[in-house]
Amino acid sequence: MADLEIRNLHVRIEEHEILKGVDLDVSRGEIHALMGPNGSGKSTLASTLMGHPAYEITEGSITFRGEDITEQEPHERAKAGLFLAFQYPVAIPGVSVANFLRMAINAKRSGTDTQSGTGQEPITVKEFRNQLQHAVELLDVDRAFTSRHLNDGFSGGEKKRAEILQMAMLRPDVAILDETDSGLDIDALRTVAEGVQRLHDEQGLGALIITHYQRILHHVRPQFVHIMLDGRIVLEGGVELVERLEREGYDHLRQEFGASEAGAVAAGDGSG
Amino acid sequence: MRLAPSRPVTAVAEDGRAGRAPALSTAGAGAAVDNGSAGARSGATGASARAKSGAHREAALYHALAGRGAGDGRSLAELRKAALEAAAAAELPVWRRSGFWTTSLQGLKLEELDAGAQPSNPGTVPEVVARTLPERARAGRIVQSANTVMAVELDGELERRGVILCSLEDAFRDHHELVAPYFSRRLTIDRHKLEALNAALWSGGVFLYVPPGTVVEDPFEVVYAIERAGVAQYGRTLVLGAPNSEFRVHEYDLGEDFDEDGQSLHAGAFELYLQQGARCRLAQVQDWGSGEVFDVSTRFVGVGRDAYCHWLPSLLGGRLVRQHLELAVSEPGGEMAFRGLFFTEEHEHLDAFAVDLHETGPSGGDVHWRGAATGESRASFEGLIQIDPGAQQTHTYLQIHSMMLSPKARLDAIPSVLVSSDDVSASHGGTVGELDEAAIFYMQSRGLDRPTAVRVIVEGFFEPLITELEDEPLQELVRAKVARKLAAAREDIEAYATSR
Repeated sequence: MADLEIRNLHVRIEEHEILKGVDLDVSRGEIHALMGPNGSGKSTLASTLMGHPAYEITEGSITFRGEDITEQEPHERAKAGLFLAFQYPVAIPGVSVANFLRMAINAKRSGTDTQSGTGQEPITVKEFRNQLQHAVELLDVDRAFTSRHLNDGFSGGEKKRAEILQMAMLRPDVAILDETDSGLDIDALRTVAEGVQRLHDEQGLGALIITHYQRILHHVRPQFVHIMLDGRIVLEGGVELVERLEREGYDHLRQEFGASEAGAVAAGDGSG
Repeated sequence: MRLAPSRPVTAVAEDGRAGRAPALSTAGAGAAVDNGSAGARSGATGASARAKSGAHREAALYHALAGRGAGDGRSLAELRKAALEAAAAAELPVWRRSGFWTTSLQGLKLEELDAGAQPSNPGTVPEVVARTLPERARAGRIVQSANTVMAVELDGELERRGVILCSLEDAFRDHHELVAPYFSRRLTIDRHKLEALNAALWSGGVFLYVPPGTVVEDPFEVVYAIERAGVAQYGRTLVLGAPNSEFRVHEYDLGEDFDEDGQSLHAGAFELYLQQGARCRLAQVQDWGSGEVFDVSTRFVGVGRDAYCHWLPSLLGGRLVRQHLELAVSEPGGEMAFRGLFFTEEHEHLDAFAVDLHETGPSGGDVHWRGAATGESRASFEGLIQIDPGAQQTHTYLQIHSMMLSPKARLDAIPSVLVSSDDVSASHGGTVGELDEAAIFYMQSRGLDRPTAVRVIVEGFFEPLITELEDEPLQELVRAKVARKLAAAREDIEAYATSR
């Protein structure tokens, strides 16, 4: 049984059905790449997995480590060990990166039931400082970075680094990275990608890397590649699929699998 | 209400900040004008006090005190007598900001309140004070409950160095030469009935004097407490910072959560004068609790030559609160930072009028307020930058940020700029916000539950100001009070989120 099991997932937003029966398994220690053109439903899948309230699941299920989380609140999924690195991280003015991380770690430690408040003790100052130092080095950011307000006034690259920094600190079992590579210059891309690879190697992170470029996959090696078109996963394989995509492009696949441009537009999700 | 300024406003404000439109002479709804008339400047004679019934409807009250105050050499007895006459002739006040809000004290049952009320337990500091004030090092503390000063303590070493902290009544007796020139120097006694009653009837009161060159790290704590219904508390505070002194004042205005029927009143008058080179950080934590407490107060801070004041009131509770807060740079080289935060809940009504007054230049000002409203509360804030004729080389900026947390609350924030000098910069900006669902989801995805995420957003909203308190115990207290209000309003906030 995989850690994250997605079965026949149908999702709509307002009147539009965007996911039309997605099946996908991701486990700890595995790196998956989910590729597809803009509007194919990749980001919808990411948001749905994390429990975004705007996305309505009309059919199917999401199971995480044996528990059906289809109806769970986002924070419960996070505590269970799921993580989403946002395509567009949100600014939280007035809250420093370090303070936010401490809150998030302690929330996770307090157990899955917020009311009972049982579970682990809050992280000690020393432990937190050590972990933060390690993460800061991994992501090649200045320590002063962690006293800035989270994502507030951050550049695109800083936001993405902050996402991976949070991932490193929260130690999820499975992380979904929603176009973390977009808008990054080559150096930032390498830092971020190598960070993901190291968390995989050191912590056994399982990752679902959503992208429509190949370039991030030059720095992080997926064992599994899935191609999404028009709300469905149409092709699965190993890293050789990336090369095929690079050669043939999405248009060729569209013809092969009968997915239309119109379908992509109807999905109404230009961000992918 | 008169809507037109009684003297022409001709100056153009030059905006010294890139990317902002120049502020014009008046902004907002145009009512925040200086009445500027000679009559107002000699208001201490009480000409306006012999008002006929209904006179409050004529009042244009959202203007700076703009006068020399009542302290013009008259004795205390003479001032009390004049104020009593003014009180007898005046009605309970109504402040009206046409199209925005009305703050009416006409529901105050003054006849049921006791101006001679004593502390509930004369021997012990009120419970609300004991449980609220942080355990911490302090330079001194003075506590008044109802109309009696019941506790004064002052660090012995500071006392030897000439610092004075005592009741204002005692100060008039023991330090008359210090007190008399400053008492009511910039505060009027007859603009409305409650101000007049304060000037006529105050007892106890607070006097703090910090001698020249005296630098005090720990705060002087000034406490006004109301423990029950039926109290009319007339608070009166005078603080003098002698040349090159440096000190902190923390004022606490606290009400016990009394649940018996009936009202109480705090009508306060506060004045602080900073002489050449003096520096003061003034913070005020006001929370009158859940009882039906009315608070109508006027506070004036005068900044002298090359002096500096950082002033941050935290207005965190009271059934009906009207605050006239005026920070004036009175001599060249004075600088000020005028901060403030407010958070209303349930059926509270807040009307805060903050004046950034520049009477001379060069001077610097920086006004930054933040407010939030839950429940069915009503929060009204007007910030006025006023630059008087001759206050050249003045640079000031006003920003107001507000956050709505309930569908039934109402929050208005009006910035006004009144400029009468031409070589100045004055501008304003602000934001009106609601809870950001994207931010809530983002934090939830990191494991915070929704109420926690909401709390983080609202605390983050206030944090730029809380940080500026630069005092850990006070910061913790304000954060705790914000958190308590949020917890109490949880259902309300959820309802608002789902209604959008």
